[in-house]
Amino acid sequence: MTEYIVKDKLTFLRALASSGYNLIAPISMKNKIQMAPTDPDKVDLDYLNTFLSPKSLFFPQTEKMMAFHKDLTKSDAFVYKPLGLDQVKPSVIFGLRPCDAKGLSVIDKIFQNNRFTDPYWNTKYEPSVKIGLACLNPGPNCFCTAVGGSPFGEIGLDAITLVRGNGFGLKTLSAKGEEFLKNTSGLEIGDLTGEIADLKKKVEASLPLPLDLSKVQGATILSIFNQPHWKTTADRCLNCGTCTFVCPTCHCFDIQDEQDEEGGVRIRNWDTCMSWLYTVHGTGHNPRPTKTERMRQRFMHKIKYIPMKQDGTCGCIGCGRCVQLCPVNIDIREVAKQMNQG
Amino acid sequence: MHNPYLPYPVRIAMLRVETEDKNLRTFKFEFLNLGDEEKFAYLPGQFAELSVSGQGEIPIGIASSPTEKGFVLFTVNRVGQVSSFMHNMKEGDVMGIRGPLGHPYPLDRLEGKNLLIIAGGFAVTTLRSTITWMLQPQNRPKYGKITFVYGARSPGLLLYKEEWSEWQKRDDIDVFVTIDREAPGWNGRVGFVPTVTKEVCPPPQNTAAIICGPPIMIKFTQPVLEAAGYSNDDIIMSLENRMKCGLGICGRCNVGPEYVCKDGPVFTLTQLNQLPKEY
Amino acid sequence: MMSLEEISQKIQASAKRLLTEGKVEVVIGYRRGSIPMMAAPHFARTEDDCNQLIWTSFARTNLAGYLSKFSGKVAIVAKGCDARSVVGQVVENQILRENLYIIGVGCLGMVDTELIQAKEPRLYREVTEDITTIKLFGADWNTNIVKEEVLRRNCKTCLSRTPKETADELIGDEVQPLPNDNWADLKALATKSPQDKLVYFKNLIQGCLRCYACRQACPLCYCPVCFVDETQPQWLGKSNDEMDTLTFHILRAFHCSGRCTSCGSCEAACPMDIKLREFNRILEEEVQKEWNYVPGLSWEQKPPLTTYRPDDEADFIK
Repeated sequence: MTEYIVKDKLTFLRALASSGYNLIAPISMKNKIQMAPTDPDKVDLDYLNTFLSPKSLFFPQTEKMMAFHKDLTKSDAFVYKPLGLDQVKPSVIFGLRPCDAKGLSVIDKIFQNNRFTDPYWNTKYEPSVKIGLACLNPGPNCFCTAVGGSPFGEIGLDAITLVRGNGFGLKTLSAKGEEFLKNTSGLEIGDLTGEIADLKKKVEASLPLPLDLSKVQGATILSIFNQPHWKTTADRCLNCGTCTFVCPTCHCFDIQDEQDEEGGVRIRNWDTCMSWLYTVHGTGHNPRPTKTERMRQRFMHKIKYIPMKQDGTCGCIGCGRCVQLCPVNIDIREVAKQMNQG
Repeated sequence: MHNPYLPYPVRIAMLRVETEDKNLRTFKFEFLNLGDEEKFAYLPGQFAELSVSGQGEIPIGIASSPTEKGFVLFTVNRVGQVSSFMHNMKEGDVMGIRGPLGHPYPLDRLEGKNLLIIAGGFAVTTLRSTITWMLQPQNRPKYGKITFVYGARSPGLLLYKEEWSEWQKRDDIDVFVTIDREAPGWNGRVGFVPTVTKEVCPPPQNTAAIICGPPIMIKFTQPVLEAAGYSNDDIIMSLENRMKCGLGICGRCNVGPEYVCKDGPVFTLTQLNQLPKEY
Repeated sequence: MMSLEEISQKIQASAKRLLTEGKVEVVIGYRRGSIPMMAAPHFARTEDDCNQLIWTSFARTNLAGYLSKFSGKVAIVAKGCDARSVVGQVVENQILRENLYIIGVGCLGMVDTELIQAKEPRLYREVTEDITTIKLFGADWNTNIVKEEVLRRNCKTCLSRTPKETADELIGDEVQPLPNDNWADLKALATKSPQDKLVYFKNLIQGCLRCYACRQACPLCYCPVCFVDETQPQWLGKSNDEMDTLTFHILRAFHCSGRCTSCGSCEAACPMDIKLREFNRILEEEVQKEWNYVPGLSWEQKPPLTTYRPDDEADFIK
């Protein structure tokens, strides 16, 4: 892996934008920092993190999957044809926070699982070059270090940068990143190893200590599932789903058909396990009948099920969005502690 | 890249009202495009998403056996929006099927064993597939004695009469069809599935049971098998849950860490005992 | 002026008394949140629980919606708008008056954390407050912000800051309304053409995630199945289609008309900071003008749009 010195931020961003890739980077929209396609001049690097997680770049809130027409004079009437899978210009995403990049890689293992590949995710996620921006000044609700991450984390990234004076330090992390950046102008080979190690140590020290989840790992599913604290915590849960919509690893969706006189589309929309409708059977039976079961599902999924399925990787990446935005202050760190108390 | 969300277009080749309450209809589909039938290579126990353009999809167990060529068979209960719409469709109409999804019954692992196959109500669908498959001359020698217990509330609610009547005539399968209460014109068995199971179940040695039915039937049949000495590894069940993608991606159908769609729907009792009862 | 600590102590004392005397099974209030500028709804059943009850300007979620989840006798800590929602729950037959005890608190208004962060964008480590001021502490700095300058919009124009009409007991000073006109900015909207109004509302809902957090946080939204969740028939598409999204918000506003108490719970819950009350306020004003009705001030009077009289003088419904 190669380490580079980038002298000037804007020159570098302009080089990324003229690389034949779409530049996606943090910009200010309606007073919120969001990841979006942008001109290099509009990129805003003075941000703690993007307001929403970057998952919507690969998994938008609403996505048309296929369409059909009702013209019976044609032989393919009522036959669905896929949408949105054409080869498009790939993206270079600059400024991903390491927590979010890790979150994307958690979703990636679900969208490209041991049996199926989701083509709608794959065609966007795979070709994109993901360049991270290390956190030098984490926020009050950040806790990546509590759940196995780091402000300099490398998972899910093709390269990582850190702000360094007027420019960046840059380190490539994958063959894809290496290949992409070797042709980018304005880079000078440099040595950042010591600098990164020092900064990493310093910033990590300002963040919370790792959560003890050893008992959660060791315990059976049923023993955690049946703990009494679920009911107490759920007392104040509104089942509003804000946590799930802002979460970088929440990936559930609903599939809906919409039609008019001429034809129709099949769409997928973000969905939430906090919703009653999410699990209700056609018969009316609901295996998660109250908010307690629904809230428990979310935390079990993040803290028990995903680690079981992904070699111990926690389903929470510590970005702090749900902690910040939950209207009734259900704090995943407190829930995790209760789960670990047995 | 294969798009697992895209249904194969099919034509409704035949429609049959299955039960006297008219709530169950069997759909025989033929693939519109040459080659799709081969791509839709399935085994008994798997399911598919039936897709009605503009209406949505429903996950339904495959009732035909892969040994039946040229078509696939599904029996659909009228419950929600899509199934109700399907009940108003006509032969010749075009829709879609997507799959096969889920894991089949562990047919390989069951080789050499005696089989007790228990069905209740319309959950018999994938067991019709299983039995049809097992009774094929190339498959039948792989298994020992086959016992089939099938129950419904009334004679009019029994599915696939033609098929099980034929099976009753054979000497390589014992068929016990039962209804819950006496009914005019019914000369067969009367009694609930758990009771009949208790009476006719083969000894547990080298025997596995496959159970599909409503929760209440499973609840009372499971203790019968346990009392008879069946091991939990040899009690095999198929689960249902609300599903959308069928691929283990969209969430919602999980029981503990397992997705009913991708990791199931077939589970052994050993597996289920480690998972929450209400998911 | 009574301090936050004094108010908190009085709430705690009252809660303990109610529980000890067996008057209620639980006291619903707020406790300190796990992060700065956050309060958590709190259900006190024991003395220890009671000691955690606090009064704060970060109590953004209306607690009235929790009441119907309890079958026994319940006490609730309520500022003016919340007390009006509680009354609404009784008037609309969601809870029984005899099972209810309102601990009313005179309220100087809840603060808008967005406004605080606009005034002080630096990363804070800790935040404290007294009755009039918010204090932010950074790594090597601190700032004081006057609460009255960062009040939520609904708190600036609130006319019922002290729930004196309906509370079973009152804690803290009686607080007078601020001299602001609740409807002033609606006048400009009223003069817009229908097309311009549509543009205005479409802009308003930009970014809506269809998460329905507004609905879940609203004490008025207690329908067992919301019209957006109906499947047979399905009334509304579920994508981010503009008209579907707008239909949801407008229909919800109509369902809430003459019932909304401007508590701001919806806006506090919205992760996208959509100014949801714009929809409600227009109807709130209409109902007030048309029927001279302000929800939540009387135990008897039903919201005008939920009542029907055969001798109604209007003929639109006959």
